[in-house]
Amino acid sequence: MLKRFPRDRVAMIALRVCIVVTFTAAFVPSVNPARVAGLINKNVSLFTNMISTASITSGFGRALNQGWVEPTTLGLIFIGALVCGLGIALLGAAFCLSLGNMKLQRLGLMFVLGAALAGFTGTTILRSAYSLLYDSPRVDMIQPMMPVGNMVFYILFSVTLLAAAAAWFVLPKPKPGEKYSIAPKYRLFLMILPFLVLVGLFAYLPLWGWRYAFFDYRPGFDLTMDDFVGFQWLRYLFENPATRRHIGKVLTNTLAMSGIGIATSWLPMVFAIFLSEMRSGSFKRSVQTLTTVPNFISWVLVYSVAFAIFSTEGFLNWMLVGIGVIEEGTNWLMSGSNIWLKMWAWGTWKGLGWGAIIYIAAISSIDQQLYEAATVDGAGRFKRMWHVTVPGLLSTYFVLLLLGIANILSNGLEQYLVFYNPRTAASIEVLDLFVYHLGLTRDGGNIPLATLIGVLKSVISVTLLFCANRASKWLRGESIV
Amino acid sequence: MKHMHKQTFGDHLFHFLNSVFFTLFTLLCVFPFYYLFINTISDNRLVGAGQINFLPQGIHLDNYLRVFNVPDMGQSLFITTARTLLGTVLMVLASGLVGYLVTQKNMYGRKIIYRFIIITMYFNAGLIPWFLNMTMLGLTNSFWGYIIPAVVQPFNIILTKTYIESIPGELEESAFIDGAGYLTVFSRIILPLSKPILATIAVFGAVGHWNSLMDSMILMLSEPKLYTLQHRLWIYLNTSSDIQKVMDQGRVTASDLSRLLNNRVISLTVAMVSIIPILLVYPFMQRYFQKGLMLGAVKG
Repeated sequence: MLKRFPRDRVAMIALRVCIVVTFTAAFVPSVNPARVAGLINKNVSLFTNMISTASITSGFGRALNQGWVEPTTLGLIFIGALVCGLGIALLGAAFCLSLGNMKLQRLGLMFVLGAALAGFTGTTILRSAYSLLYDSPRVDMIQPMMPVGNMVFYILFSVTLLAAAAAWFVLPKPKPGEKYSIAPKYRLFLMILPFLVLVGLFAYLPLWGWRYAFFDYRPGFDLTMDDFVGFQWLRYLFENPATRRHIGKVLTNTLAMSGIGIATSWLPMVFAIFLSEMRSGSFKRSVQTLTTVPNFISWVLVYSVAFAIFSTEGFLNWMLVGIGVIEEGTNWLMSGSNIWLKMWAWGTWKGLGWGAIIYIAAISSIDQQLYEAATVDGAGRFKRMWHVTVPGLLSTYFVLLLLGIANILSNGLEQYLVFYNPRTAASIEVLDLFVYHLGLTRDGGNIPLATLIGVLKSVISVTLLFCANRASKWLRGESIV
Repeated sequence: MKHMHKQTFGDHLFHFLNSVFFTLFTLLCVFPFYYLFINTISDNRLVGAGQINFLPQGIHLDNYLRVFNVPDMGQSLFITTARTLLGTVLMVLASGLVGYLVTQKNMYGRKIIYRFIIITMYFNAGLIPWFLNMTMLGLTNSFWGYIIPAVVQPFNIILTKTYIESIPGELEESAFIDGAGYLTVFSRIILPLSKPILATIAVFGAVGHWNSLMDSMILMLSEPKLYTLQHRLWIYLNTSSDIQKVMDQGRVTASDLSRLLNNRVISLTVAMVSIIPILLVYPFMQRYFQKGLMLGAVKG
């Protein structure tokens, strides 16, 4: 055991673990050492406090005006957070150096010493800022508090320092004349590390927010274990009749619109097949170019196009009044009828030409000899399309179809948001839009319920994708993801 | 040439119907933009009455000159341009570098790292956890909230990795023998050779940044200075009567109002201002579509 894990390696691994834990803690709001007063937002981490002064001062507007708190005290808090941040940064550097050769590792240990000193100083500054807050004439308004994070960071820095000290004694001495260097495999790892951190922060860390689905969370209050409600929101979803009805309606809209999309998903393929039957190359290219334009404009712009054409002064009314179908123009966008079909039509207008590109490319890679052979066998135009072109495209179509089925619950948000109005509300609200309304806009909001629906949706989508992948392997012998 | 197909009546009919269909659909895709455009350059009184339908009348460019008087329009144009430029540059560089690094066989933990990045394409924490996470990271009401999350995109990494793997390895090796480091090889050899794929990423990235609405609406709630162009446009379309009130009180005189101010015209002009850049770069983008799409069909 000891032979396979030499002491110096064990010491370095222990040190790296300490560093990673301390580094991560800087991003966790509940152990923020700089939250020395109740007026500081409890949802921000040490990291946020040290990159923006506003994250500290924003809650103190009234307190500053009334002179309950000195601006210098707030400045002191910021400096404390900054010094702590310096310690965190030095720890990060030490981590990188610990991947180098002996000489570099020793330099890294010196960095840990510097980091610990900065950390101790920073937490001490924050503690003195805390005691200064008690001089305030309105202590009850300022609510000074000794954050648990302050102690946590003190301990984390101490433990890391101890680990570094232990490593200092067990690391072999560098040979005289040895130069600083890092093995290529670690050098490459360090180069990609910042990007991995970004992926972790923006793709993995949000998963931590799934816990809100199991708490009775109200914005502005602490999330404590007292609020843990388990699956209460899940039961609420099914037991509350009003919610159940609303969700039922939303699911109907979602599945109906996805269903229409899937049922017509062969349109781009047919578009491409017929376009490739055109004889003039320049005609083909122009059609392809011009029908792709709508794909590149946003849904807001699609809406403004719709606004231009379908509003009261728009083109459609001018035409209909002109040919005498109607007497007076109306605003078609306010009409709530046939919303599913209208949404499908906008989606097709925007996406048909674009969707056809991949099939056009696939058609150009079909062997021309197949067509010649079919002609020799007496196949007419439609027979060639059906027996040569379509089979050549089915594989592509199949992949896109399976992905479409896997995404059946995700219609996207923007399209439905821009066309949403009181008249269209009932039949346009899809799951994504419902979550947005529920969590972020409706009065008070219901963050736990919105989170729970998001969680269910993600789980179902991943399962569907997995099944689609299986189906693809089974049918075509090839996976799609 | 016995088998040469002779053009029958059926063939002619087929071509005729085919041409008609594609011409009509193309018109359907193009006409709305043309309609929008002629309505922004025509006499505003006629536009207000819905009289401009096929040809512009009383051509003037006042609307475009004055659209910057619309409250906060210039600011949001600036923000959107800034995020498009900075966001795209960072995204392209990061995609190139990460794509290059994951092709390096001797990297520590290469396979796990690559999967760690790519797998994020297939799951999504959901809107609310994403929003709470952005709040926690202090990226709400901050310009960086637009830029940083978009830097590393798994799909782009697949594109660059696939492309860089197809570059012959000899070039790299000879550079290493000459003593070049990884970053030198990347910036001197890989980056110039990957131009086509990086251009594809730049095109899609820039369009995405330029067209973005939701992140502005969700993240920048209390910082209207940071609203994107699409967000502004959305607000105008929704509250065009309110704008009229604001402009009544402000920078525009009463005589201007009768001639110029018509909320319909304002909305259409703002829409046109945000469509024009896309239409301008469109011809240049076009040749990269196919390449990007075809490479995208290759799985990670």
